[in-house]
Amino acid sequence: MTTPIGPRRRRTQKSSSNLKITILCGIVTILVLRGTIGVNRLPDPNDHRQQELLKEANRIVAEIRSGADLDDEPSRISNTTYSLGPKISNWDKDREIWLNQNPNFPNYVNGKPRILLVTGSQPSPCKNPIGDHYLLKSIKNKIDYCRIHGMEIVYNLAHLDTELSGYWAKLPLLRSLLLAHPEVEWLWWMDSDALFTDMIFEIPVSKYENHNLVIHGYPNLLFNEKSWVALNTGSFLMRNCQWSLDLLDAWAPMGPKGKIREEAGKILTENLKGRPLFEADDQSALIYLLIKEKEDKWIMKKVFIENSYYLHGYWEGIVDRYEEMIEKNRAGFGDERWPFVTHFVGCKPCGSYGDYSVERCLKGMERAFNFADNQVLNLYGYGHRGLLSSKIKRIRNDTSSN
Amino acid sequence: MLERCLGHRRLHKIKRIIRQSKLTVICLVLTFVVLRSNIGAGKFGTPQQDFDEIRDHFYSGRRVEPRRVLEEAQVLTTATADVESGGSVGKVGSSEENNYSTIDISKILVDEGEDEKSDPSKPYSLGPKIHDWDEQRAEWLKTNPNFSNFLGPNKPKVLLVTGSSPKPCENPVGDHYLLKSIKNKIDYCRLHGIEIFYNMALLDAEMAGFWAKLPLIRKLLLSHPEIEFLWWMDSDAMFTDMAFEVPWERYKDHNFVMHGWNEMVYDQKNWIGLNTGSFLLRNCQWSLDILDAWAPMGPKGKVREEAGKILTKALKDRPVFEADDQSAMVYLLATQKDSWGEKVYLESSYYLHGYWGILVDRYEEMIENYHPGLGDHRWPLVTHFVGCKPCGKFGDYPVERCLKQMDRAFNFGDNQILQMYGFTHKSLASRRVKKVRNDTNNPLEVRDELGLLHPSFKAVKLPSAS
Repeated sequence: MTTPIGPRRRRTQKSSSNLKITILCGIVTILVLRGTIGVNRLPDPNDHRQQELLKEANRIVAEIRSGADLDDEPSRISNTTYSLGPKISNWDKDREIWLNQNPNFPNYVNGKPRILLVTGSQPSPCKNPIGDHYLLKSIKNKIDYCRIHGMEIVYNLAHLDTELSGYWAKLPLLRSLLLAHPEVEWLWWMDSDALFTDMIFEIPVSKYENHNLVIHGYPNLLFNEKSWVALNTGSFLMRNCQWSLDLLDAWAPMGPKGKIREEAGKILTENLKGRPLFEADDQSALIYLLIKEKEDKWIMKKVFIENSYYLHGYWEGIVDRYEEMIEKNRAGFGDERWPFVTHFVGCKPCGSYGDYSVERCLKGMERAFNFADNQVLNLYGYGHRGLLSSKIKRIRNDTSSN
Repeated sequence: MLERCLGHRRLHKIKRIIRQSKLTVICLVLTFVVLRSNIGAGKFGTPQQDFDEIRDHFYSGRRVEPRRVLEEAQVLTTATADVESGGSVGKVGSSEENNYSTIDISKILVDEGEDEKSDPSKPYSLGPKIHDWDEQRAEWLKTNPNFSNFLGPNKPKVLLVTGSSPKPCENPVGDHYLLKSIKNKIDYCRLHGIEIFYNMALLDAEMAGFWAKLPLIRKLLLSHPEIEFLWWMDSDAMFTDMAFEVPWERYKDHNFVMHGWNEMVYDQKNWIGLNTGSFLLRNCQWSLDILDAWAPMGPKGKVREEAGKILTKALKDRPVFEADDQSAMVYLLATQKDSWGEKVYLESSYYLHGYWGILVDRYEEMIENYHPGLGDHRWPLVTHFVGCKPCGKFGDYPVERCLKQMDRAFNFGDNQILQMYGFTHKSLASRRVKKVRNDTNNPLEVRDELGLLHPSFKAVKLPSAS
């Protein structure tokens, strides 16, 4: 027998049961949400393995890319001045004797002097993957030019001297190569961000019979304005002789990293027009050396400042004109009509930040690469579909005869 | 009143039942939902799957998550103090425009034009048939005496051909390993007077992938009659013996040299009985013919798929996948031994191709017991990282083993180059180098241990008459 329930109690009961239902619904909602978004689900085994593999791959890649920090050696503290190596005074004579004793390794082959192209980049992966990709394209570009012109290449990936790091690293490298290869007549240093864009042009070496250093620049910028961009050390030729060893010795003192390089940087900024304040770089140091030693003349008379062709071609004024060049000119000029070298100064694709817009740099490099590559592919009857395209098209049909 | 009470009571009861069953129903629904989210409900899926489906529905195209993860990892490593060792020049690159880590290269490259459409009714052909290449070539060499095909009595003119994709690697360090690989080849070839052709162009879209080498090789043979031998080498193969010179005179009666074993190819028909990652091909009519016989399984699509099935059935141990050039060569030789076998040399006395798996752990042992110049199991000429695929995302082997071993192989080879200049790597795993020979002021008195600075195989042939 049911006890009569008062209306109020009934209301209370009703509301309490409504409350129960509300609470229950609330719990349901929370659980449902937890079920879809939350942690409480069994992971899919395949997905888990994929995640693990990806995590592992990322860890390895990050480890490789950070690598051992090669610049953490302590900077020079001692009082002795830096030296590239033991002083050599008889190089011209010693080299001549060696060449006479080794006629199988002549310094002139088929009437042309033996030229060794030297380039390189850092031993560790670039901070940005696109940097390595363009280093690869850059070396392919150099391989193509050198194959066509019978030159050998040395690609350096080692820091031979931790004190002369960065752009100074070329100095000990050049010295080592000069001394180890007496059969080489000219060393041609070329930066990794410089590309050949005229595959036909050949360096007129006969012009430089009486010179030992051929470098692109402008004499008035050098001697009158003392500008820090009067010369460019991104692409230059250095003869294998005593004079070059002496030049390297005179060039090196501003290089050792740390206090010496910092202080030298200040001197250079003070003396060279337009130079921002930063540590000493090899280009400014060479300019300063040439200006200072002009009176002595031992250096200047053997330096040929070349600007009749683009031994170094500043990219900004070049990369937009390729189509115009293709239309109006042809390969072989090497100058502003068809630049020999397009040099992407300041782009620094191997680092994180460049001095120019990344898009402009990368587009420019791709265009320069394809512009040059077309000159090689044309030999085989092909060409790129566009200067920004990696795909190629036939421009000449195959025949059954050579 | 009773009736009313009864009705009322029943009503009450019913209401109560409904109320209670509401709870029951809610609990059932709750249970069902929770279970579904945990275990799934078969083809009805789980909520995560629903979420994925909905997301995929809205984002068409490839999911970019893995790449994003890698980019984030890279941004983290560059966020640390990045003092450029050169400072900045004028315009400091602090704006987003100048930041390389945010760039997407695919937005910069423009693929114009359309691929050549092949005629499906015509069988695939590498090019117009040539019948008299030997005569044409001999004629050319006679009229161009400056371009001799021999650099010395036993030294033919060789062109090493390798290549990679013109697009950046999917793996962020892939391009770095390609760079090290080409540097390694540049070093060996400089020492041995061999020229290099690095290909980045896909000459024939139908023969894409591992088949791309065929049209390229044909084109190079025909364009360079002065080349006596063409040496194809994969981008994942590295020279580890800088002093070993290929015994060219051994192959004077042969046109095609590959690493492999006769029994494994002709008797067992094993798909890895030979390796087409590193081989020598003479520039002659026979080679053009074998390229033409090799090519038919290559054209991508149905032809390659079907050919793959034939190969898997015919060859021992071959897994199921589309036709690859190596299996096709095994098949060609095994089935047409009479046509081609006589001029094919399967070399196994040195590692023209050396499978990395059995070599890389023994480098220290080799350094202790042997010396460069042997080219075989004691000091392999080539260490070939088959299956590693460093340019892609995933290879057939663990990433760590592949990349670390590639570093070791590279350093093992590089040490032989650096010793010419008096340096060596601090260890096989280290990028750093140390001096092993003091500088002297008489550099020409010094002989490098391996005699690689001025080796005999690089000596220029002197003119016989003055």
